[in-house]
Amino acid sequence: MNFAARPGLDRSSDPKNEPRRRTAPDTQRLVTPVSTLAPQIDSQRQRIRDGFAAGASAKETLQALCAMADRSIEQVFAELQSARGMESQGLCVLALGGYGRELLFPYSDLDILFVFGNERAERDFRPLIAEFSKTLWDVGFRVSSAGRTLEECKRIEEDNAEFHLALLDRRYITGDQELFERLDSKVLPGPERQARPFLSAQIRKLTRERLARYGNTIFHLEPNVKESPGGMRDFQAAAWLRQVCGEKREFWNSTAAEEELASGAVDFLSAIRCFLHYSNQRNDNTLTYELQAKAAERGLGLPPNAALDNRRSTAEWMRVYFRQARTLNRQLLRYMEQKAPTQQSLRQRILSAARGPKIDAGDGKPFAVRDGLLEVLDQTALADRAVLFSLFAMAAKTGVPLSREAERTIAYVMLHPELTVRNAQISWPAFQEILGSDFPGVALRPMQRLGLLTGILPEFAVIDSLVVRDFYHRYTVDEHTLRTIEHLQELAGPPDARGVNYSSIWKTVDRRDLLILSLLLHDVGKGMPVENHVAGSVQALETAAARLKLSADEKTEVHFLIERHLDMSATVQRRDIFDPTTVSGFASIVQTPERLQRLCLLTYADIHAVNPEALTPWKAEMLWQLFVATSNHFSRTLDRDRLHALDEVPVLQQVRKLTGSAGTESIERFLEGFPRRYLAVHTPSDVAGHFGLYQKLDAEPVQIDLVATQHAYSLTLLTADRPALFATIAGVLAGWGMNIIKADAFANAAGVVLDTFHFTDLHRTLELNPTEVERFCKSLLDVVRGTSPLEVLLKSRASSGRQRPPKVEVATRISFDDTSSTHSTLLEIVTQDHPGLLHEIGSALARLDCNIEVALVDTEGQKAIDVFYLTSQHKKLGAQKQETLRELLQGTLA
Amino acid sequence: MMKLEAIIQPSRFESVKDALVEIGIEGMTVTEVRGHGRQKGHTEVYRGREYTVDLLPKIKLELVLPDKLVDKAVETILKTAKTGKIGDGKIFLTRVDDAIRIRNEERGENALQ
Repeated sequence: MNFAARPGLDRSSDPKNEPRRRTAPDTQRLVTPVSTLAPQIDSQRQRIRDGFAAGASAKETLQALCAMADRSIEQVFAELQSARGMESQGLCVLALGGYGRELLFPYSDLDILFVFGNERAERDFRPLIAEFSKTLWDVGFRVSSAGRTLEECKRIEEDNAEFHLALLDRRYITGDQELFERLDSKVLPGPERQARPFLSAQIRKLTRERLARYGNTIFHLEPNVKESPGGMRDFQAAAWLRQVCGEKREFWNSTAAEEELASGAVDFLSAIRCFLHYSNQRNDNTLTYELQAKAAERGLGLPPNAALDNRRSTAEWMRVYFRQARTLNRQLLRYMEQKAPTQQSLRQRILSAARGPKIDAGDGKPFAVRDGLLEVLDQTALADRAVLFSLFAMAAKTGVPLSREAERTIAYVMLHPELTVRNAQISWPAFQEILGSDFPGVALRPMQRLGLLTGILPEFAVIDSLVVRDFYHRYTVDEHTLRTIEHLQELAGPPDARGVNYSSIWKTVDRRDLLILSLLLHDVGKGMPVENHVAGSVQALETAAARLKLSADEKTEVHFLIERHLDMSATVQRRDIFDPTTVSGFASIVQTPERLQRLCLLTYADIHAVNPEALTPWKAEMLWQLFVATSNHFSRTLDRDRLHALDEVPVLQQVRKLTGSAGTESIERFLEGFPRRYLAVHTPSDVAGHFGLYQKLDAEPVQIDLVATQHAYSLTLLTADRPALFATIAGVLAGWGMNIIKADAFANAAGVVLDTFHFTDLHRTLELNPTEVERFCKSLLDVVRGTSPLEVLLKSRASSGRQRPPKVEVATRISFDDTSSTHSTLLEIVTQDHPGLLHEIGSALARLDCNIEVALVDTEGQKAIDVFYLTSQHKKLGAQKQETLRELLQGTLA
Repeated sequence: MMKLEAIIQPSRFESVKDALVEIGIEGMTVTEVRGHGRQKGHTEVYRGREYTVDLLPKIKLELVLPDKLVDKAVETILKTAKTGKIGDGKIFLTRVDDAIRIRNEERGENALQ
């Protein structure tokens, strides 16, 4: 504790000061010379230390240290007083802070306050105090002292909150006892009562700053048992809050069991802190790897017969540490959320009672948002776990965290034997809802604290509070994992400079749920008895996927992300990312742009969560360069690599199996000549479905398949290639008011075109009117067959449509690339997205007789990003044609 | 004593470090840097946005060596950092007057061991 010093009197602890500066004894002033007193005190210290080593509890040790310090102070004070012939009237010596609470650790400072009756007493006692402080230093105490007159004690020093907080723990040691009683019962109570709001705010401010310095987590690999979250300072801050805001247990809503747990945690941490001080022989509270091993070996803080797994006793002992730290941290955070009672007038009380608490209506739900936090309104409803999980889904969707009280209620409900649990198992779709939301970490963090996450993913339990010695990592494995997810959700807000580029990927990435599941499992192998943690994590996926009932494709994707989670980072660090061979090699591993996005985000988050400095701007830039180069590689090399069906034996076999009686030759004919991306973005069951449509082409030359997905629709259309086909389909969708968010168009060697459109139903026409689905399909078929004009459809939409001005202006950019493809000219258009855009572009292309060989259509918010591989009369577009097309498109898109 | 500063390709760093350790050089300072010499940057376009990479990522190694190890260290870096392409980097050598180990105030080449 370091109090603001007053010149000539205060002496704060300064690490530069030598703790044991033995000077020549001044026998004229001290009856017992320093040369005699110091060895006596040393011998007492040694006895206490030996007692601790022999098994004395931390409480006994701290009390003995405190009593020894008290005795020494009393003796030195009395002898100096007597040598100087002074009475103690007008001066008393108080212990403050931890020493005041009788929690004096072996190498802690002695926080002392000299209180003077008045300024004259201060002047008179100044030489005695100087001698007193010097003597205490000479006998080996680190003294941190301050002095105040009684009058000064009435004033609240707003720039010195620490002093006032330490003063809350005042304890009389020696001197004028009557003066102390005046101070304690008459002088201080009034100012302290008035200063409650100030002190309460200061405790919260100082605590928030301290917790932030340690990343707001207890899960450090080498924690500081005093300062880091979950350390002794948490207990102290909680105690101050109680002192300032009222001691009543009812107000803090603490149960006797919780108080007992907190008391046990304090004993445990006190034992560690004593052990650290004795081991380091200084006031160093860092629980290093070496000392963790020694403490575990000794079973420090554990009951004598506690059984530890011998093989990994240090890890198990650290789990006990984190459990205790979590108890103190949880208590403090709950207290921090508790509002300090404020004095209200009668009118205010009546109005407040009439208004009730500020609650956002929960729409009949048993939970609601109150003051920016999710609160439980009806705890019995949570016995239905489906309701409980919907609470977490809401947190993940909105980013509104659960209050500590809500967590406490859930913990209570989970343990309550009288409530009958319903829907105990979460379904994969319900879990997906949490994982795929914008703020999955806001839900997963409390789910982990409450044990719900390990209930859903028991594989996660092996990394719970797991310390793995590592030079770079700063947190336990579970904490690192949760941080990866939190770093990703931070990308939703304005991220720091390192995250700016990644923000757009996070907002648009496909199958976010699978990415988050991969992150949850990516390091699980670190807690398994395996040589390579990646192999362990993949192994864990097997059981998790079976239990959660992941589809084969989902499992394949998560498997890839876990198995390859170090690949992108390794490529960035060990390969020349500006070498095209590196990029194409990496692209061949990743295979699709969608997967590249997921792997890139996973890598970004994984590096970021190692420690706060791990993701340097340099590394973030390198990662981004590889992402951009690989992404461009995908879009520029699409038609370079075409399928040769005979080389695709495994796919052929799978499709044949799924289609039953189909002949291999027929499947080969269908696949031959599609870009390789076709197989990369479609599963064998998709391919089998497409093949089914292909087989029906003889009977009906246009085949369509419309599927409703979670938030959109997916339309697949197969037919023989013809001019303006892509523009026509896009036109029908625009005519129906559909918003195309993604599309691709591929053609095989036989000229069969397979177009896929993902669109949202802006006016919910299909969703609210199921009969319209049939009419929509018929309308599409009629227009594509040429039996119904598109213009009529578009005209009716134009007359009913009302375009809103865009929220973000996107400048149009049109570029041609003749070098990336051997057969086609690449046209990339980036422009403001709007309904009907794709029809406009497709029509412009058709007007100039441009054939779309491949199309990739994507959107990012209100930005449309379209890439077309174009030919004209089976050749690349000439310079003149490119220029004409550019002008036409610029005119269309202006 | 000489101070050796080497600017190398990030992809060669692990090999260079391992090779230096193999010849008995274990102390080095490593910095992630950006810069360019004759290998100028380039422009990438991603989704309509231009990303100009005019300063390329490199790794800077700094070592202070006793005279007898300098040639060997240079040779090792040349051998392991070279790809033959523009952008392989450079090595700079400067003379160092003295070195002091802060812990025990040893001076000269003794402070390097």
